[in-house]
Amino acid sequence: MNSKPRIGRGNILRLLPYLSVAAFFLGWQLLVETGIIPRVLLATPLEVGKLFFVKLTQAQPDGSLLWVHTVVSLGEALLGYLLALVVGIPLGLLMGWFVLAEGLARPLFEMIRPIPPVAWIPLAIFWFGIGLSGKVFIIWACAVIPCVINAYTGVRMTNPTLVQMARTYGATDWQVFTRICIPSALPMVFGGLQIALALAWTTLVAAELIASDVGLGFLINMGRRLLRPDMIVLGMLMVGLTGWFIGAVIDWLERKLTAGLERGGSSS
Amino acid sequence: MEQSESIAGCGIQMETGPALEKREGAWAAVRGLLRNRYCLYGLSVIGFLLIWYWAALYSSISRFMPTPDQVFNEMVRIAGHKLAGKTLVGHLWASLRRVLIGFGIGVALGVPLGLIMAINKYINAAVKPIFDLFKPMPPIAWISLAILWFGIGEQSKVFIIAIGAFVPALINSYNGIRLVDPALYDAVRMLGGNRRQELYQVTFPAAFPAIFAGFQIALSMAWGSVLAAELVGARSGMGYIIILGMKVFKPELIIGGMIIIALVAGFLTLSLNYLEKKVCPWKRELT
Repeated sequence: MNSKPRIGRGNILRLLPYLSVAAFFLGWQLLVETGIIPRVLLATPLEVGKLFFVKLTQAQPDGSLLWVHTVVSLGEALLGYLLALVVGIPLGLLMGWFVLAEGLARPLFEMIRPIPPVAWIPLAIFWFGIGLSGKVFIIWACAVIPCVINAYTGVRMTNPTLVQMARTYGATDWQVFTRICIPSALPMVFGGLQIALALAWTTLVAAELIASDVGLGFLINMGRRLLRPDMIVLGMLMVGLTGWFIGAVIDWLERKLTAGLERGGSSS
Repeated sequence: MEQSESIAGCGIQMETGPALEKREGAWAAVRGLLRNRYCLYGLSVIGFLLIWYWAALYSSISRFMPTPDQVFNEMVRIAGHKLAGKTLVGHLWASLRRVLIGFGIGVALGVPLGLIMAINKYINAAVKPIFDLFKPMPPIAWISLAILWFGIGEQSKVFIIAIGAFVPALINSYNGIRLVDPALYDAVRMLGGNRRQELYQVTFPAAFPAIFAGFQIALSMAWGSVLAAELVGARSGMGYIIILGMKVFKPELIIGGMIIIALVAGFLTLSLNYLEKKVCPWKRELT
């Protein structure tokens, strides 16, 4: 097909991503290796990789194995996140359909909504200390907001034709809510889950940076205190990878659960 | 508290009372009130304040909980008095200045890069994988590295904020261009437009609402990042005020600071919404 041998346009496009990633790591390695960036400021990718394997079996110098840090962070994040789902989604759904729920919850919600998640950290530490409960509270406070907003918007965006039809067939308020509003809100709810998760993970890392004795944020912070850039970069990589991984799991769950439903509108 | 109890008692009496008509009339009135949104809003706020007072005065956590008027007094106090060498306005300005500089840098780098990536597929193929490596990393995770690189001063904070603003600015301008309705291109080509006109007349205006939405996300990310950076290490700014409240065991200072932070965040969002209506009136409302 292609008259030019081997390197056609399509091939370049296909190879370019790998080349650029390879060039990125090579450049990084060389910049540190040649001393253009001093070693106290940045570690080479090879050092980071080496530290990853060392930290799998060795608790020094920060007190815990790598997987302990990861599991503790994940556990805190997921616990707060699940509590936020359990409270936020039903609340948002009810607020979308029942005037009573909306009237009572809306003002409180609007008061809490503009507070940036990290601003909860001092209060949570003050109330609950630096242990598990403080972290769970912070994550709950920041993850509950997108859950409520998206569940609420999802119910509000229910196609009115469907509601009218159900009413014509004599459905009660509650039946319309459970049979029509909730299923049609599901895609939006899942959009909210994604946003909440990203928020929860970011906020958790911030909380661990400020006060904790175990967790990935703590690992990053210890790296700074001990002047070990390889530890900082390892911590950042683990945070990124874990965040990406849970995002992928939610994505997969969404596709399983809402198969056949179309995502109604977009949640910018 | 007493008042609400007496009302509840009243309700029970009416229900068991003999005057059926009167009961139904009262119920209808109560129902009418419960259907009225503004009445419910009022109830909710009053209930919230009552619970807050109760928690602050009588509950087991009252030691950790200031009353609303203590919070208000503290806010008035820090508005007039200096806190760590700066007044409240000074701290607020310190935070806002960092946000504006960081946001400016992040957007100035993110938007053009996003546009170029969306227009040129070779640049896209080269840059996208590296960007995807960094994307899932929360901006706050950079803080240790930033402090190591730039010290604890202004630069490290601006760096974090710039990263926080850069990512949504890039993603939205990239997606904004890629999601332009292809029918618009067909139209401009049929009218005889060349590639340049296509870009300036169709692509940029059509993508602008998405880019602007990116600004909004970037600004709220920037505001969150500045707080996080100030919580970790700073001697000025709103984040410093609330972490100071935690260190000196003054919950009214924490909550007062949080209220001011929330007000500023709300103000930033509202002003960007207003600006959006001014600069891109052609934006279609989401259905």
